[in-house]
Amino acid sequence: MPSEAGREVALAQTTGHVQIDTVAWVTRFVGGNGSDRISFELAIEPGDTVRTVLRRLSERFPQLQYALWDAESGELGEHIEVVVNGAVLGVRHGLDSELKAGDRILLFGQYMGG
Amino acid sequence: MESHRPYGYAGQILRVDLTHERIWTQPVTSQEYREYLGGVGIGTKILYEEVPPDVHWDHPENRLILATGPLAGLPVWGTGGLTVVTRGAMTDGATSTQANGFFGANLKYSGYDAIVFQGQATRWVYLYIKDDLVELRDASHLLGKDTWEMQDALSSEHSLSGHQMSVYGIGPAGENLVRFAVIAGDYGHVASKNGCGAVMGQKKVKAVAIVRGSKGVRAADVRGLYQAADEIAHELQTDPSTRSLYEYGTLPGVVNLLGLGVLPIKNYTTNLKPEGADMSLWEAPALRNGFDHRGHQCSACGMHHCHMQVLPSGPHKGQIVDEPEYEGWSGAGWAIGLTDRVAVSWMNTQVDRAGVDVNEFGWLIGWVMECLEKGYITKEQLGGLEVRWGDAEAANQLLQLIAQRQHLGDLLAEGVKRASERLGGPAAECAIYTMKGATPRGHDHRGRWEEMLDTCTGSTGTLEAGAAVKPQEMGLPARINPFDPDAVAKMVGSLQGRRHFEDSLGTCIFTTRTTIENLCRALNAATGWDYTVEEALRFGRRTSALLRTFNIRCGIGPELEKPSKRYGSVPVDGPAAGIAIEPHWEHMLDVWYETVRYDRKTGLPKPELLRDLGLQHLIPELWGQEVPSHAV
Repeated sequence: MPSEAGREVALAQTTGHVQIDTVAWVTRFVGGNGSDRISFELAIEPGDTVRTVLRRLSERFPQLQYALWDAESGELGEHIEVVVNGAVLGVRHGLDSELKAGDRILLFGQYMGG
Repeated sequence: MESHRPYGYAGQILRVDLTHERIWTQPVTSQEYREYLGGVGIGTKILYEEVPPDVHWDHPENRLILATGPLAGLPVWGTGGLTVVTRGAMTDGATSTQANGFFGANLKYSGYDAIVFQGQATRWVYLYIKDDLVELRDASHLLGKDTWEMQDALSSEHSLSGHQMSVYGIGPAGENLVRFAVIAGDYGHVASKNGCGAVMGQKKVKAVAIVRGSKGVRAADVRGLYQAADEIAHELQTDPSTRSLYEYGTLPGVVNLLGLGVLPIKNYTTNLKPEGADMSLWEAPALRNGFDHRGHQCSACGMHHCHMQVLPSGPHKGQIVDEPEYEGWSGAGWAIGLTDRVAVSWMNTQVDRAGVDVNEFGWLIGWVMECLEKGYITKEQLGGLEVRWGDAEAANQLLQLIAQRQHLGDLLAEGVKRASERLGGPAAECAIYTMKGATPRGHDHRGRWEEMLDTCTGSTGTLEAGAAVKPQEMGLPARINPFDPDAVAKMVGSLQGRRHFEDSLGTCIFTTRTTIENLCRALNAATGWDYTVEEALRFGRRTSALLRTFNIRCGIGPELEKPSKRYGSVPVDGPAAGIAIEPHWEHMLDVWYETVRYDRKTGLPKPELLRDLGLQHLIPELWGQEVPSHAV
């Protein structure tokens, strides 16, 4: 967790906000009931990427942290799908693509089965 | 003779010669079972050994194998499963397709691990099994009945319902040899792929009815088996991915896949929801609770997955239907532009009742609707039917014409590949299929390259490797970029074998979403063996190599491993808009072939792989005495 002083510095350097929507089942990992959506507005700093912003959110929610990241590699795990500005991760953005103010990330549960 | 039965098995296969109406049992030793397990493993062995290339899907000597496995009838969740293996009508090649319910458990309790049909009956029959009483009985009174009516009739006839008697059979579509006919049973469970129902119809077998037998199944280590079962159940309830599966089955699929551009909408013409559509109604809790519902669990299953529901409104209000799986919502709904939940639910059960594959139904009816809209097919050709996007009643009328092979339904009963090729022109360019003739699952694979590659290269008439389940256990990354051609091809190739192992255990695919190690623990406790993850994968890859070799022998080679034009097209909108797989296709095949160690030119497993898999005896037959340089 950043110190209060650190947070103030970060806020001072904020270049805007991005929105992260947790959708349907993923809301379970952030205190919801598994339906609809729960949204978060996160301040971004210069150089922030999809990865750093998702890290920042998941650090606040242990279940999301567990579900989002692969414990061994530290990369995205298999449980949650990431969509950036309406496109699946891999189409226009990678995990280390920089974000800009107004960008929007959606987190869906992995779908299993036929 | 109970003490002689191998642990985990009934110890014998039921053989049924329909031509001569002769029935006998074939004993199988524990050692043979260790090598071929059950399900697709034992089915593939029989298919490979007993069906030569000139025995096509509709030849009397084709085999229809309904096999369960060592965990069926035991307390691991979802262990009522069966695997159907045959030479199927869609690809005229190997088939492996699964269903659940109670069939597997009842069969084991009656004393059999599998049923093998051969020959062709001269009259319509159904196979009745009650322990040692096994008879081919007259089925003329069942003809024309849909799959639910058939089950009602047999249940009533024998005064047995629910899990007391499992019934699997064909609807009117199977009787009339619709190429994508299914074998359906236990109200809502379907072995759906590659026209296995047409094979059953060709053999004039309407159904198999198995009374829950009295013989039980022995486990080598009962305590260990319960521990493994508990471990798997705990994981299904707590793992971040399987928790939703545990609570809602496949219902979360619609919303999730729409968000990923993988929900097929209106025959792949868009990936956007209709304007104004309220997607909150499509979330899993809303789908479940939007209907009066009741659990409809399979044998020994604790999942909150399968349900029956009551239609709350509309012209069929009050009807009891099977809660659609995701693929029902997509195939009987979104793929044909139908987004009224109640209508989709009704449509889905109509499809199951008629006895056709809901995936092929979606691609076929969606194709007809698009062709009608664009003027490629006329209303007159459809006998005056106006089959417009989202019209459930008209779609059902067309379904019945297909099931009866009447009017244009006779051509459509051949499936969308053959129907579109026959019509030709622009109509041929908007049909979704693989060049082998296999039906893609109910996703838009243009946003899921792994499954498109798997469907096109697979030898089972559907996905063969299947989705990555805990890939880290196999030394693979937890996640890859879904549009990285190299990563996708390596992943699909590397996963090969796991699914074959699962599909040989007599379990449900949804209750095996755990580590292979856990499955081995359960298998070993049941059988007394010491199966390892390595042995499980080797078994799976051996089965896969045999299936492939069977198909190559049948003339289904690498030249057919590609999607149809529409199937491999570029999404015009949605989350995967603009992404094109076609430029990467040949390279992906190169990487996939290298990964699975098959020969790119002939498609055959390379000699070195055959040796590693213990299939060296096939080398002279497949490769001759001098192996060509490209296969070394």
